[in-house]
Amino acid sequence: MNPVIRVAAEEWRYWRRSRLGLAASLVIVSVLLASALATWRQVAIERNQRAELQTTAENIFYDQPARHPHRMVHYGHYVFRTPPPLALIDPGVDEYTGAAVFLEGHRQNSATFSPAYSGPHGGSFVSLSPATVYQVLVPLMLIALGFSALARERERGSDLLLLAAPMSARGLWLGKTLALAAAAALVLLPLLAAVLSATGFALDGIALVLGYGLYLLGWVCLTTSVSARSRSSSNALAVLLSVWLAVCVVLPRIAASGAEVLLPVPSKIEADLAVAKAMRELGDGHNAADPAFEQLRANLLVQHGVDRVEDLPVNIRGVVAEAAEAEQKQVMDGFSEAYAQQEQAQAEAVRWSSFLSPLLAIRGFSTSLAGTDLAHRHRFLVEAEQARYQFVQDLNRIHASDLTYTDDIRRSSDAGAEQRTRVSPDNWRSLAKFRLTPDSLADRLSRGMPFFLLLAVFLALATGLGITARPAGVR
Amino acid sequence: MSQQQVLEAQSLTVQRGGRPVLHDVSFAVGEGEVFALLGGNGAGKSTTLLTFLGLIEPHQGRAMAFGQDVQGNEDAIRRKAAYLPETASLYAHLNAWENVSYFLELARSPRPRDELSQAFDEVGLPADARDRRLESYSKGMRQKVAIALALLRSVPLLLLDEPTSGLDPVAIDEFNALITALAERGSTVMMVTHDVYGACQVARRVGLLRRGELVGTFEAPPEGMIDADELHRAFARSHAS
Repeated sequence: MNPVIRVAAEEWRYWRRSRLGLAASLVIVSVLLASALATWRQVAIERNQRAELQTTAENIFYDQPARHPHRMVHYGHYVFRTPPPLALIDPGVDEYTGAAVFLEGHRQNSATFSPAYSGPHGGSFVSLSPATVYQVLVPLMLIALGFSALARERERGSDLLLLAAPMSARGLWLGKTLALAAAAALVLLPLLAAVLSATGFALDGIALVLGYGLYLLGWVCLTTSVSARSRSSSNALAVLLSVWLAVCVVLPRIAASGAEVLLPVPSKIEADLAVAKAMRELGDGHNAADPAFEQLRANLLVQHGVDRVEDLPVNIRGVVAEAAEAEQKQVMDGFSEAYAQQEQAQAEAVRWSSFLSPLLAIRGFSTSLAGTDLAHRHRFLVEAEQARYQFVQDLNRIHASDLTYTDDIRRSSDAGAEQRTRVSPDNWRSLAKFRLTPDSLADRLSRGMPFFLLLAVFLALATGLGITARPAGVR
Repeated sequence: MSQQQVLEAQSLTVQRGGRPVLHDVSFAVGEGEVFALLGGNGAGKSTTLLTFLGLIEPHQGRAMAFGQDVQGNEDAIRRKAAYLPETASLYAHLNAWENVSYFLELARSPRPRDELSQAFDEVGLPADARDRRLESYSKGMRQKVAIALALLRSVPLLLLDEPTSGLDPVAIDEFNALITALAERGSTVMMVTHDVYGACQVARRVGLLRRGELVGTFEAPPEGMIDADELHRAFARSHAS
């Protein structure tokens, strides 16, 4: 047998026979169980519930009886962001930002109903997604299993016997690394199974598993490299735990806090107040006599060669509502685009921090591939807004074309007029159903590629650290 | 001394952690010779062995083995040498068979079980102990497994660091007889020890090392052994000065 493979096999025998092996096995089993439970929960909630809710919301909306079109504008309608298949692995920003938007006239509502607020146990359990397990807990397990791989040989003096065997220091490091990499590969199997069940043999799923493989291999090499360079197992453990704490806990929080301080984004209430203030300066779309629409009214009268709005072939109230909605959209788009840009700038700042924290790199890669990153959320909000605008303006146009102005102004006092201003449900049944199409594989891969390269750099640095390690205390 | 030199220290100077450990040490060991390097704690004995294995780089001078400079030829030299460390650092979670097999496989010279059994017999490792993990072994029993491993390597050079440490008197006698027999079959042995009488029993030449300097060499007469009392006095004098 090749000596490197023989060293790896011997390490596995050591794990099996020692208490460390038992402890690590317990950790592995716990991690896998946690991962499986989290996956099951994600599957149950993400895959089925939102699709069902979307269908339910559509049925309720479409089954409305004949109504005044502007009542339907205010009645509103929910659209849901049905998660892409790989969101089962990594819910990404979706977990905190909400997956449903209520579409109604004159407002751009925020996404609501995030799992973080609606989970059965609330709080931190929702963050124990398979992605979190593999990003944070599995590296810790690899450290627990491998911190003493080479340091204990030095402590016991068996490194001299191995080197004199002869076994090169590099071969020894490779063997120990191979053993730990095999353990990491074993832990990756449930992820591979979950991905295959979600996407089949699709390229994005395979790429996601490869990314996690690269990330864990980086941790494997880092663990054995630190062990090779440490004079004792306790030193190696202290260094590795410090690195884990920095990479997985401290740096991501510093990066997020730093981005918040350097590139502040206004709070929801601040943003809403600013939008409301700007909207008050516009005309009231519910009032066709509002001076803000005087020019529009005059133009219509000239265009149709009549002197009174009652004589227009269109309902002036519908036309004004449509014009007002267009103006409001312009104002609201200005705010929402600026907000999205600020959020994106913060995300960009955190992305640069991936140079320091491989956790941020795998997180960026994973959410990009899964289609649950900020860019995907922004596209959801943009497409939901397009759907909202289309839905409102379609109803405003029906208001303008199918209802007479005379009936419209008398509908509160005249039962016949009230009946005639109701339009058939067929008018909104024909409105397009909202379905968010996932980003293309090419888009997701291109967004994930920089993070993949950073993971490759992490692996290269960790490998270099191990390959260049010399037996401490000998030379 | 035999004609061909297997080991040669040429003005060897070694520093560890910026502190001189060996200073201008020169000696040679011929083929089939048993050479002992005697010295107290911290004299530089183990450092000398590790330098010949290429595990420590000399600051000045050269360590030669089989006519080659050790530096740059470490792997080739380690393949021809068996090393027995001061503390038998074998694996406590493995039994005797598993320990020996593992290191032999790393050396790419696996041996059948009957050869392992024969080696265990030669070093006096009880048959009923061989299947037990080394965690239940005494220091002497572990040393016997390590010696068996060195024998099983079947290489022309044995580098032994305090080989009789932890062995009982009977086992020491058996070990000395074994080393003598190996030398007669052509193996070259260099051992480092602080056991004056043990060195005289087995070695034809003894070098006296004091604080990193070779202060004397004692050679056995053609038909006898080195005078242990004389060597002991010299050792005591060197220690006192």
